[in-house]
Amino acid sequence: MSKTLSFNPLIPLKMQVIPPQFPAKKTRTKSLSISARLQNQQQQQQLNLSVLRFTLGIPGLDESYLPRWIGYGFGSLLVLNHFVGSDSATTTPAQLSTEVLGLSLAAFSIFIPYLGKFLKGASPADQATIPEGTEQIFVMSQNISDTQKEDLAWATYILLRNTNTIAALISIQGELCARGYWNIPEKVSKANILDWFEGQIERIGLKNLKDTLYFPQSSDSVLWEMLPKGTRSLLVQPVLQVPKPGAIQMEKIEGFVLLASSMSYAYSDKDKAWIGALANKFGGKSLRMDL
Amino acid sequence: MEAGSLLHSPIPWNPKLPVRRRIGSTFPRFFYFRAFSSSSSSSSSSSDSQGGYRGPKPRRDWIADWVSNNDDIVRSLPIYVGGASLLAVLLNRTVSGIAPVADASSSQSRADLLTLGLAVTNILTGLVWLSIRPKSVSVVSPQGVECRRIYSHLPDSVVSELIWVWESLSEVTCCRSLIVVYDSRCVLQIGFAAKSSIVDAEPVAVDANKLMQGSLCQGVIKSGAQSYLANLSLYPGKSELPFLPSNTQAIILQPLGEKGIAIIGGDTIRGFTTSDQAWIALIGEKLDATLAKNVKNVPLAVQDQL
Repeated sequence: MSKTLSFNPLIPLKMQVIPPQFPAKKTRTKSLSISARLQNQQQQQQLNLSVLRFTLGIPGLDESYLPRWIGYGFGSLLVLNHFVGSDSATTTPAQLSTEVLGLSLAAFSIFIPYLGKFLKGASPADQATIPEGTEQIFVMSQNISDTQKEDLAWATYILLRNTNTIAALISIQGELCARGYWNIPEKVSKANILDWFEGQIERIGLKNLKDTLYFPQSSDSVLWEMLPKGTRSLLVQPVLQVPKPGAIQMEKIEGFVLLASSMSYAYSDKDKAWIGALANKFGGKSLRMDL
Repeated sequence: MEAGSLLHSPIPWNPKLPVRRRIGSTFPRFFYFRAFSSSSSSSSSSSDSQGGYRGPKPRRDWIADWVSNNDDIVRSLPIYVGGASLLAVLLNRTVSGIAPVADASSSQSRADLLTLGLAVTNILTGLVWLSIRPKSVSVVSPQGVECRRIYSHLPDSVVSELIWVWESLSEVTCCRSLIVVYDSRCVLQIGFAAKSSIVDAEPVAVDANKLMQGSLCQGVIKSGAQSYLANLSLYPGKSELPFLPSNTQAIILQPLGEKGIAIIGGDTIRGFTTSDQAWIALIGEKLDATLAKNVKNVPLAVQDQL
């Protein structure tokens, strides 16, 4: 029994294994985001993107937002021209129609980068940022088998590493595992963290969730107390027990996987598919049977 | 949901209010109930008998859905808008009788120039969007037979983990064949496999020893890093993998520690994204841990008896 307690390095109970994307200090560097984006475009092999890309070559400048700045700049110049350039007595209807056209074009240019975000092949320009003033935690329910502990630790590790997640919470049959940056009030001591999470989950009623919830923008989600400050996307994936083929029983809800990210639109369809596949790992297995 | 039910049944929520006041003060009461239900949505749901999920539901993102569905139209939209406004500016000039001179002397020409600048920006954006349109690669159906061979002396937990890996890969990525070799044994061969010429309609078996000695696997295990052969037809090492269907388009070779390898075959050229590769790498580590524990179990039992 003592031999199985020597966990292999897959279960990083210390913080060192957390990859350098999640440093303890809030250091958000835009140049990192640009190089990551270019790397993504070169390696993104499923979508064969052509090489032509207009760029000013300034590091840290996101060219896909250029139409927005041009829209703001030219639009304000148009307004300036209307009021300052000539007195309103001599404004011809032709000039007015040009200005109206110019202002609507400016509004369209400002709107364009938002549309561009949803096209195929668009990669997010932001990088996940670390919330200030929070520390990373890693807690897990104690009365589960070692195999399940390993599974939960690995699952939270892979979620934090491979997706733009800053906080992950997995609840299977009442047993919890929380990892990442959570907004835990100071009065909760280390020993009571799990109970505090339980209380929060009860309040929201997450245990009875049947459908996947995805809030890509912070305006959609009510910022629950436990989520870290600066959460912009939230994904809750229910874990359903797959009924055996031929059985008449309904799908039972085993638990859920909750992920929070500091970017908006953080989870693409592919990310959601992988998270769903990970949730299936926990479905259909009883915690206590795995020894 | 709760708000609607509260509005329709005011009496249980306010038993203290006398009945005669009901008609006169319906209007303020609506506000009261609405404020009450919105501010205490978590406590009012305590009357919800099922104890279901009480949080907010996400609203549908119409714009995002529309853009993803009409990708081509949206890409050429800025060009049309820019081009149309360009023509409109010139038309405006000719109709109003002012000579089309492109200088900044009058405020009319300044406004025209700014509008032209915006139109050109839009046209350029449309062109950039069109140029970065991703090329869709077609899926090639693998030629072979379905097979499902699992090494028989494995405990159930390991088998279910392997089956989970196969199901995830086949659902999420373009994977159509999966072979796991560990400790010179073929632990799993699932999905499509090449048809054997010797025994008809039977999948070709994996010769684990020969595979592990081959240069392809040796190289991968020595470096310890994943190897992604995006277009298998270009690689001569394909001959070392006779058990895969002959028209497998892409494969990923994932080493499992130092003793094993997982071969994942896909049906599209460059079909595995970077996200897939990252997930496969971490899943490989987990598989290695599981299989290693399983192989170690046998000698451990012997040691315990000492």
